[in-house]
Amino acid sequence: MRRKLLDILCCPVCKGELTLNVVEENDVEIVEGSLRCGTCRVEYPIIDGIPNLLPPEAEDS
Amino acid sequence: MTEEKIRKKVREGYAKVAQQQQSCCGPSSTCCDSVNTADALAQKVGYSEQDIASAPEGANLGLGCGNPVALASLQQGETVLDLGSGPGFDCFLAAQRVGITGHVIGVDMTPEMIAKARENAQKGSYTTVEFRLGEIEHLPVADSSVDAIISNCVINLSLDKPQVFREAFRVLRDGGRLMISDTVLLKPLPEFIQKSVAAYVGCVSGAMRKQDYIDAIKKTGFKDVQILKETPFSLDCRVSDPTAQAIVNDFNLSGEKLKELEGSIASIQLTGIKRS
Repeated sequence: MRRKLLDILCCPVCKGELTLNVVEENDVEIVEGSLRCGTCRVEYPIIDGIPNLLPPEAEDS
Repeated sequence: MTEEKIRKKVREGYAKVAQQQQSCCGPSSTCCDSVNTADALAQKVGYSEQDIASAPEGANLGLGCGNPVALASLQQGETVLDLGSGPGFDCFLAAQRVGITGHVIGVDMTPEMIAKARENAQKGSYTTVEFRLGEIEHLPVADSSVDAIISNCVINLSLDKPQVFREAFRVLRDGGRLMISDTVLLKPLPEFIQKSVAAYVGCVSGAMRKQDYIDAIKKTGFKDVQILKETPFSLDCRVSDPTAQAIVNDFNLSGEKLKELEGSIASIQLTGIKRS
């Protein structure tokens, strides 16, 4: 995921802002890391460049 | 069957399609034994030969009802969101239209599809297309940040279509366009089909009545809601479709009953505008 597109991302549940935590980044994009919603206290992982923004309850199923 | 179970079945069904790289889940995908057939199908629903050739190989699984009109209206610099982007076919075509100053974001709830889309993006060196795992009922996209929403035969799979339209409305900018194609019902399906999960995954039994679909979009607040094209589904190309096959076998359908089914389903291309 590219940094530039962080602006238009939001929490899928409360639509609040997400805080980015980078574990690995290359010239193009963030490869590993997470996006955290402070309001919902949920951490959405970024794995292999893809942010997983499925709402938590859907993922558990 | 609970909603959660249906959602899971839909995800599993399309995960399988992504992995097998063959389209055999939707009624629209129907004639589908090879990638070549997917191309032929894409052409049939209105994509140009140039469009098909320009997308990375494997991006077109022949799953859509077709959304070429929506693509044609896109302009340089626009931000486009594709609901249920699958392997990314429409996203890549959209990326060509919006140019390097534009953005295309694909959202899909199936990890295997997202992985395939990302692989396709790398294959085709698309730098303005991004994919994220998400649900179209819970878009991870900020308010008023998108110029155009496209979606190609996906919303019928949602268990809460009005919620999808509300989310679409929320993320569009003032003046933003909703440009979707989908499967709708022209008359109620026989009960046995309504209850079939295979038919749900195949975009048949999850479809809404046409008028209800339009009303739901209008109720959300969209203006100038119009159907640009309506195509009745034909069964001739569905003979080789496993979903249709399963329905025919499971329910021991006569030719007459199949005909009845044929007149019940159509694919539509629809537009609406968010205007305050």
